[in-house]
Amino acid sequence: MGLVYSLPLCFSQRSIALPMNETVDAVVIGTGAGGAPLLARLAKAGLRVVALEAGKHWNPKQDFATDEKEQEKLFWTDERLSAGNDALAFGSNNSGIGVGGSTLHYTAYTPRAQPTDLRIRTDFGVGEDWPLDFATDIDPYYDEVEQFLGVSGPSPYPWGPPRKKAYALGPLPINGAGQLMERGCKTVGIKTSPAANAALSAGYYQEGVGFRHACTNRGFCQAGCSVGAKASMDVTYLPLAVHYGAEIRSECFVTQLVQDASGKISEVIYVKNGQEERIRCKNVFLCAGTVETPRLLLMNGLANDSGQVGRNIMAHTALQIWGEFDEDVRPYKGIPGALISEDTHRPKNADFVGGYLLQSIGAMPLTYITQMARKRGIWGQELKRAAAAYNHVAGINILGDCLPYERNFLELSDEKDRRGLPKPRIHFSNGESEERMTAHADKIMRDIWDAAGAKNVWSFPRNAHVIGTCRMGHDADTSVVNADGRSHDIPNLYISDNSTFPSALSVNPALTIMALALRTADKFLANT
Amino acid sequence: MNYTAITLLETDLVTDPTRNVLIARLNAPARQPAFFLPDEFTLLEAVCDRLVPQQAAERIDMAGQIDKRLTEGEGDGWRYDDMPPDAEAYRLGLRGITESAEVMFGNSFQNLPDVQQDKVLADIQSMVAPGETWKQLPADRFFEELMADAAGAYYSHPLAQAEINYVGMADGSGWERIGLNELEEREK
Repeated sequence: MGLVYSLPLCFSQRSIALPMNETVDAVVIGTGAGGAPLLARLAKAGLRVVALEAGKHWNPKQDFATDEKEQEKLFWTDERLSAGNDALAFGSNNSGIGVGGSTLHYTAYTPRAQPTDLRIRTDFGVGEDWPLDFATDIDPYYDEVEQFLGVSGPSPYPWGPPRKKAYALGPLPINGAGQLMERGCKTVGIKTSPAANAALSAGYYQEGVGFRHACTNRGFCQAGCSVGAKASMDVTYLPLAVHYGAEIRSECFVTQLVQDASGKISEVIYVKNGQEERIRCKNVFLCAGTVETPRLLLMNGLANDSGQVGRNIMAHTALQIWGEFDEDVRPYKGIPGALISEDTHRPKNADFVGGYLLQSIGAMPLTYITQMARKRGIWGQELKRAAAAYNHVAGINILGDCLPYERNFLELSDEKDRRGLPKPRIHFSNGESEERMTAHADKIMRDIWDAAGAKNVWSFPRNAHVIGTCRMGHDADTSVVNADGRSHDIPNLYISDNSTFPSALSVNPALTIMALALRTADKFLANT
Repeated sequence: MNYTAITLLETDLVTDPTRNVLIARLNAPARQPAFFLPDEFTLLEAVCDRLVPQQAAERIDMAGQIDKRLTEGEGDGWRYDDMPPDAEAYRLGLRGITESAEVMFGNSFQNLPDVQQDKVLADIQSMVAPGETWKQLPADRFFEELMADAAGAYYSHPLAQAEINYVGMADGSGWERIGLNELEEREK
């Protein structure tokens, strides 16, 4: 079976020369899950919008190889300094670059948050509530994003409140790791389901693009989809934005936001090909992610009357359990996150705050082996034997909530990176709640894997996704933006990425980031 | 097996972008060090050979890959805050290995028998190896970075992929059989 591409996967970018001194309606900084849907919404409303992206504009079919080392080009490799008891890994762990941002390498696992995820403070007396109502502010946008992207999932969905719409596409096929998790969970009495994934289980018409091809089970979501089946922004919201007249400038690294006499941002300065360029604008939407968004604000001394910029960093608990099985697993095939259970969303008698989901995981070989080399402590012949078992390996992991703590924050260091800009230093240590949650999950996952027949089980402690450095809230003293993503301090500055999340949620952030991006755009349009 | 990671590169079961990258890597000659001094480089080669042993007639040039990365100043996007930048970490780390070998066994690391080399490395990993250098550089962190670099260089190479019977790069037509014990012809 050969692959047939109905339409080019790389949308062409008309080259538009801005007249001198033109002021655009909005500059959008970053083209990931936070920037892309917003860009499309603003463009459709007729605004003159320009997006600035630090990375390159790839043509996946030509540029993407099935080789993890080659695909390291999708990761943010400007160095971050990582501190704390549970120092976070960056780069391929959580940070992308390029037109499409981190969605170029996301796993496309797109569970919805549940309403209780927004009420941590109310339910547990610690952490924060969201200044949003799930039913009116988020739910309708979940519907819209899922239908637009072509999320493939089970209907009815077994957990959470009832949905207005079924998923447009049925779930993707289950790979070996998913089958093993099904088997193990059945034995221990945990309900599982095929997961919702933002990858197409069948060909799908994409507005602004044409027909996108169904997933071919490459299992390479985390190193770049070459087929267009995964819903990264470059094959979904960004072509839509360009269709409505948005302009995307790639390889433009934003360094400064310039204020006018009134305190509004009037100009954005960026570096392209080593040269500084400037663009005048009426509004700025900062969508550069939980590390780069606050970094830009701190470098420019902006929007931080609250003192909260860079603070309240959270990172999901994400312990992985790996094992070897008698069966031929061939973990490189199929959507990596085939299966889910949300039975552990609010476990009875939990001694921790919030909860977590369970996920089956496929693994590309280099990622698996280098993580093992780092964290399993084995080397020499022991490592070689374990690496040679790769075709029989499967993993299961959690994704769980995380509280904000005083000691977890981002600051600018004194060390300069290769752009001459201060490297961010991120301090992170799990708290007692996260450690108890991890211990709870460790036992359950080992039981599941044991029941599934795993041998040589080892655990990889990990935290996934960084969240919360410019949190939203009603109170300008304790938050950076309001519930609509607008800065409390600078009236024409908005943030749209997961730096605004006041709690981490117990699900992967991408779907919620996109939903809020649309909401932020709608609120902006309604108020201007 | 019907195919290996090497023989697959000659077929259309692999896409062109994938083929080009892997053939270039397979055919790349052993690198003359540009970052490491000759003694440092031979030491690093000896260390890598213990961390990821190889017996094949064709060697995978782990030390060369590390040298290339450090020469070009490329990184993976982060480092532990309590570690110096990569270049300094490697210089210090190699000095520390030399020092520990000298104190523990009275010889250079390269001249020690395998079992003693492994003891030096194990003690560094557990943070009990002797040496003033380890007061300037966290031994366990350095060991972890070294492991990640060595294993990364090794297992990204088509020879290593053939060694572990990995054929995932042959996805030119995608995969249809993806469940347990479900293999396509090219995976058998």
